[in-house]
Amino acid sequence: MSWCSCAKPLTLQLQLQSRPASLIHSHGGGVTVTTSSMSIRPSSPLVFTHNFHFQPKLKRASTSIRCSSALTPQLKSTLDKVIATNKVVLFMKGTKDFPQCGFSNTVVQILKSLNVPFEAINILENDMLRQGLKEYSSWPTFPQLYIEGEFFGGCDITVEAYQNGQLQELLEKAMLS
Amino acid sequence: MSSRGAAAVLSRASRIRSKLQSALEATVLEVDDVSHQHAGHAAVRGSSDMETHFNVKIVSPKFEGQSLVKRHRIVYDLLADELQSGLHALSIVAKTPRETNPNPNPNPAD
Repeated sequence: MSWCSCAKPLTLQLQLQSRPASLIHSHGGGVTVTTSSMSIRPSSPLVFTHNFHFQPKLKRASTSIRCSSALTPQLKSTLDKVIATNKVVLFMKGTKDFPQCGFSNTVVQILKSLNVPFEAINILENDMLRQGLKEYSSWPTFPQLYIEGEFFGGCDITVEAYQNGQLQELLEKAMLS
Repeated sequence: MSSRGAAAVLSRASRIRSKLQSALEATVLEVDDVSHQHAGHAAVRGSSDMETHFNVKIVSPKFEGQSLVKRHRIVYDLLADELQSGLHALSIVAKTPRETNPNPNPNPAD
């Protein structure tokens, strides 16, 4: 089942421009993706250069596309690459230094306590990313943790796995591979 | 209890309880509205503080053989309408009867 959490319908008026969009996340060792090449270069901050400056219009369904997919092919390709390139990826609310939600913070603290390097992506900065990820992961909430390219779970699952040791085991295996 | 037309006026907690109970044949079902603990945080700022965050505990035989991710997805699928109408986050505990009672009494005394 694909998720289309359209509590806030968006009018899809994306205009792909070459000027850089707002920075999603700044983290050394991340990836840069451009609209033209979609190439991955390590050691650059993660920037979505789709024009995400558009203002989502919170109209009701009658005047806008209600449930169009936010998961564009470009976004899907970008997410595929981010998840393939980084062993541990956390899509969260806020940043790893300033989480903006208790659930996201919990997962950040768990990963930090295990000294695991991870890519943290702030979904609050970009609503298309936020909605697209819900479809991509078939998971309607955040945080979302990916380990070795696979969706691992949200906060509850991560906490349970941390408490019973499964998380540590999986992360150790990931770091060694 | 008539449910015709009642769904609209039931609280979200009641609707959640009803949807999960009927679909999962839960032996244990606890639904708690903890929205007040999250009122004002960045992602819900600007929206109503009511009925946005819930803790749900379900014990159901239908979770047997399912991974945690699969169990949570089942719950999310059942609550899709709620998630699209203001339900913001769910903390889910999803167990099977066997997991909550690992040593069943072999001598039924009652």
